[in-house]
Amino acid sequence: MPNLHVGEGGPLVDRVRLLASAFAQTDLVGLCIQREGEEIELRRRPRSEGAALPGGAPAGAHRETIAADLVGIFRLSRPTPVEGERLTADRELAYVEALGIRNPVRSLGEGLLVRIVARDGAPVDYGAALFEIDRG
Amino acid sequence: MTVRLWITALHSLRSIEDKTIFRKVLIANRGEIALRINRACQELGVRTVAIFSQADRESLHVRGADEAFCVGPGPAQRSYLNIPNIISTALVTHCDAIHPGYGFLAENARFAEICADHGIAFIGPRPEVIAAMGDKATAKRVMSEAGVATTPGTDILTSVEEAQAAADAMGYPVLLKATAGGGGKGMREVHARADLERAFASAQAEAEAGFKDGRVYLEKLILRPRHIEVQVLGDTHGNVVHVGERDCSVQKPSHQKLIEEAPAPNLTAAAREALHKMAVRACQAVGYTNAGTLEFLVSNDDIYFMEMNTRIQVEHPVTEMVYNIDLVKEQIRVAAGESLGYGQGDLTARGHAIECRINAEDAKNNFAPQAGRLTNVALPGGPGIRVDTHIYAGGSIPPYYDSMLAKIVAFGATREIAIARMERALRETVIEGVATTVDQCRELLASAEFRQGHYDIGFLPSVMTASLGSGANAFSA
Repeated sequence: MPNLHVGEGGPLVDRVRLLASAFAQTDLVGLCIQREGEEIELRRRPRSEGAALPGGAPAGAHRETIAADLVGIFRLSRPTPVEGERLTADRELAYVEALGIRNPVRSLGEGLLVRIVARDGAPVDYGAALFEIDRG
Repeated sequence: MTVRLWITALHSLRSIEDKTIFRKVLIANRGEIALRINRACQELGVRTVAIFSQADRESLHVRGADEAFCVGPGPAQRSYLNIPNIISTALVTHCDAIHPGYGFLAENARFAEICADHGIAFIGPRPEVIAAMGDKATAKRVMSEAGVATTPGTDILTSVEEAQAAADAMGYPVLLKATAGGGGKGMREVHARADLERAFASAQAEAEAGFKDGRVYLEKLILRPRHIEVQVLGDTHGNVVHVGERDCSVQKPSHQKLIEEAPAPNLTAAAREALHKMAVRACQAVGYTNAGTLEFLVSNDDIYFMEMNTRIQVEHPVTEMVYNIDLVKEQIRVAAGESLGYGQGDLTARGHAIECRINAEDAKNNFAPQAGRLTNVALPGGPGIRVDTHIYAGGSIPPYYDSMLAKIVAFGATREIAIARMERALRETVIEGVATTVDQCRELLASAEFRQGHYDIGFLPSVMTASLGSGANAFSA
């Protein structure tokens, strides 16, 4: 992992911006720094694609697929999301458990949860479709 | 040979019955070597998991395995070198072993350690041996201590000034080498002090990009030696054997091999015996296990240890043909804790084998790698011909990886028969859609030096320069 030099002083927002820039160049999915009462946590957004799924419902103009960005076991979060549910805000829908780490999969905003593609408790690989959400 | 076949068959059967062999192996590689490992596992009754990048989704190695998992996008750093995703794949698919093949993570001691930390057997030597022997500067020191002659050289260099001082002391020409290197990557010939600084920076950058380890060292360049390597096998019970030598002197200026053969032609019996003994002694000194290769430079009667590759080699098929042995199966058996079950006296070379690497490269443009879609593929066959490949008509060659398309191996009772079969096989070979090295292999085989078996590492550049001419940008530095 490369060293993340984010500077010791300066406004918090500048340090977060520098840290985020360095973080984006790594393969990490999450990073938390705690120091002197200050905590900065960065999490990578799950990959999101606009394409329809093979064999799935016809792609709508606002249809989006949330895909896995790492290999692990897919588990639905609690409260368990259900197909047809209206997502009123960004929330954790599931997580991918990899090497003992729980990597959240978030809805990335509002929308209609059209389909839960991955099976709860099943292994998923990189790029595997997890959820289909209509943003319309 | 009948006895040898019987030994191999007996071991395979016993392994399966005793359940000492692995249940499921993850193949952490792509291309022909992934298929080669998959075949060995299938014959041993071991299930397999392939990994692949998004660029390799249609690759043959994905179809051949029992299960397949995508581990990242096309660039190798994010897929075939993505250790967390590879280990996670092994865990979720309940693999009990990982075969790394060659390249990528094959000589990464940290990866081998991580495998062990997760209870997964790494099919290769122990991590500390990979670290010692895979680190080429350390390997030379270890070999020297074991009484094996080495080329004059330095430890790992920390600055270009240190490199300049060392080169001044040993005299030019010198060779900069990546300590984690292989396949000619991170290697630069330097013939004058003025060129050292630029070569140092580019060797470091290439090594960092290729191996995530930019450390380099320097050694005296032996002019026009032969490159001869010895195949070894060791088990976890202290048994070590050599499986003969290979002549790999037909190399591009980048030191990437193009044609290999076994046994090495025109090698005196004394030199051959010395090479074999040195290789076995070196392995015993470090407690080497699994398959490995010791590379030597041979100049007249002088033999210098160059480096050790702690993995299966690309050119392993020529050894397999001559010794009638399956080196990949032996790797798997040994990693599962079995003893070799045979000694040096049970291994006898028979006949001659030659391998031509068919790469997607443009020889007229400094052997630049080619990417694209293969529009037509017809591969050779017939008596004495083996082809290890992953290509097919309609398949694509991604730009991210090694350019090798196929290994054509010809076997014959004599070297002359092997050459004749190879020439026939190359004439039969049709690969369209990208430029390949088929014509260059044919040209090299036809030369008087090759037919007489009198060639060294300067052979290919001299033939290609004569053929392509200076205006063809054949070998720009």
